[in-house]
Amino acid sequence: MAQNGHNRTSVREEVNPGHIVSVQDFSPETLRNVIAHLKASSSFEHLVYREAELDAIWTITGFFLANEPASSLRDEVNRLHAGAHKAHDLVADRRPGAAATVLEALL
Amino acid sequence: MLSREENELLTQTDSGTQAGKYFRRFWLPVLLPSEVPTPDCPPVRVRVLGEDLLAFRDTNGRVGLIEEFCPHRRASLFWGRNEECGLRCVYHGWKFDVNGTCVDMPNEPAEYGFGNKLRTTAYPTREYGGLIWTYMGPPEHEPELPKLEWARVPDSHRYISKRFQETNYLQAIEGGIDSSHSNFLHASLDAFRVTDSYVEKVRTSGTLRAKYHLLDKAPRFTVKKTDYGLVIGVRRNAEEDRYYWRLTQFLLPSHTMIPYEKGLAIHGHCWVPRDDQTCWVWTISWNPEAPLSEEEWKTIKDETFVHAKVEPVTFRPVRNKGNQYLLDREKQRTANMTGIHGFASQDQAVQESMGPVVDRTRERLGTSDTAIIAARRLLLQEIRELGEGREPFTARHGDVYWVRSASLLLKRDVEFDQGARELTKAEV
Repeated sequence: MAQNGHNRTSVREEVNPGHIVSVQDFSPETLRNVIAHLKASSSFEHLVYREAELDAIWTITGFFLANEPASSLRDEVNRLHAGAHKAHDLVADRRPGAAATVLEALL
Repeated sequence: MLSREENELLTQTDSGTQAGKYFRRFWLPVLLPSEVPTPDCPPVRVRVLGEDLLAFRDTNGRVGLIEEFCPHRRASLFWGRNEECGLRCVYHGWKFDVNGTCVDMPNEPAEYGFGNKLRTTAYPTREYGGLIWTYMGPPEHEPELPKLEWARVPDSHRYISKRFQETNYLQAIEGGIDSSHSNFLHASLDAFRVTDSYVEKVRTSGTLRAKYHLLDKAPRFTVKKTDYGLVIGVRRNAEEDRYYWRLTQFLLPSHTMIPYEKGLAIHGHCWVPRDDQTCWVWTISWNPEAPLSEEEWKTIKDETFVHAKVEPVTFRPVRNKGNQYLLDREKQRTANMTGIHGFASQDQAVQESMGPVVDRTRERLGTSDTAIIAARRLLLQEIRELGEGREPFTARHGDVYWVRSASLLLKRDVEFDQGARELTKAEV
């Protein structure tokens, strides 16, 4: 996705599944960070952090959809919103790899 | 966010439910000893995990906890006579001892021998740590009592209050481990606006919390799974080479501890489902080293912090939903965020405003909700594992509760659980 609701991108972070990715937007860079962390996650704590990140993506895409009814990005954001929900539930089911695949398809 | 099924799995604790079975693997606090103070005193009603029970202290001082309704014609034993080691139903005279055995059935011919064969539901009780606890699960799985520090200090070192809350237990736990709300819900206006006078006050107060909460209002969360549940590390920026850490414990199934600063009293809660719509809030303040000080008693009596005054018998807080928690809009305009007095009432007001069982499918969570997400996932995991036949480890290992919350400054390269290892050991 070329742009995001807040028109800013997050700084690329090193992959450490024990840290929470800073989710300030839903830019491709943020998604790539979350995907990379999903792929490296295995423990209870890792999965909790991933779930929190996906909750945050779902929340801010939801706000975007509610507040930007005329945006040309709506369809794209809608797909991401639904994808974040699906990925969230896969993480809850302890399937972070499958969640990463869902998000990768949205890039 | 949770699915509807997950929300129901977590919040339904009546007999026969999955979470109900889980809670029934632990000793749960149900009464203050002062509610049944003397042998043969009047019985009291106790509702817990959706079951209506009756507590009484028999002639020998033993506490019984039995089903409220007489198995004969379902009349309430609350009207009963507590006499000679048993509670006698006033309707037809049937009498039950603390074990639930019918020891007298005067309206039936003695030769039928019904009485000896008849039992009503009865749960074992223990008097421990200033409370009366019960275990409502299968006898073969009776757990150990949790060796919580507050339960092991002398009575003079501890104060416990009980209040009734009109929400599911989980909403209350989530409030207890949500560190980020305290900068807002419990803030004075001066603290929220960071006025010059507040900065000056903080500079001279010497408490770590006030100083570092002021510097960093968007803390970072870390959770670690432990034998007892979770330790939640909340990190704020402090001096250039240090972080200020506040560590909160969530101990299964429903105990929490508030970060403790050395030298002050420690505070904690236990949230027990009364039914799916309401819960009992047990609030404990303790000092492991000395009797509670005059200043600590003043805080308790003034209700400024975690305790709130309640109506006798019902334990409904004096500030409650019915009177809008005695909200003072002028105070809200000039003094604090809510206009409601005391942290306990502030918490209760927002938690009850969410409805008895919040619809967690409609939440909008962020990374500051990490502790809440972790607690839900841990409880879900434990509940599902019990459903698959795996007994909860924590219930059978009372020693794992021997921990204490903490708040401290650590160098930035030190892991919080390593740096706080000594501080988080209970001493009593």
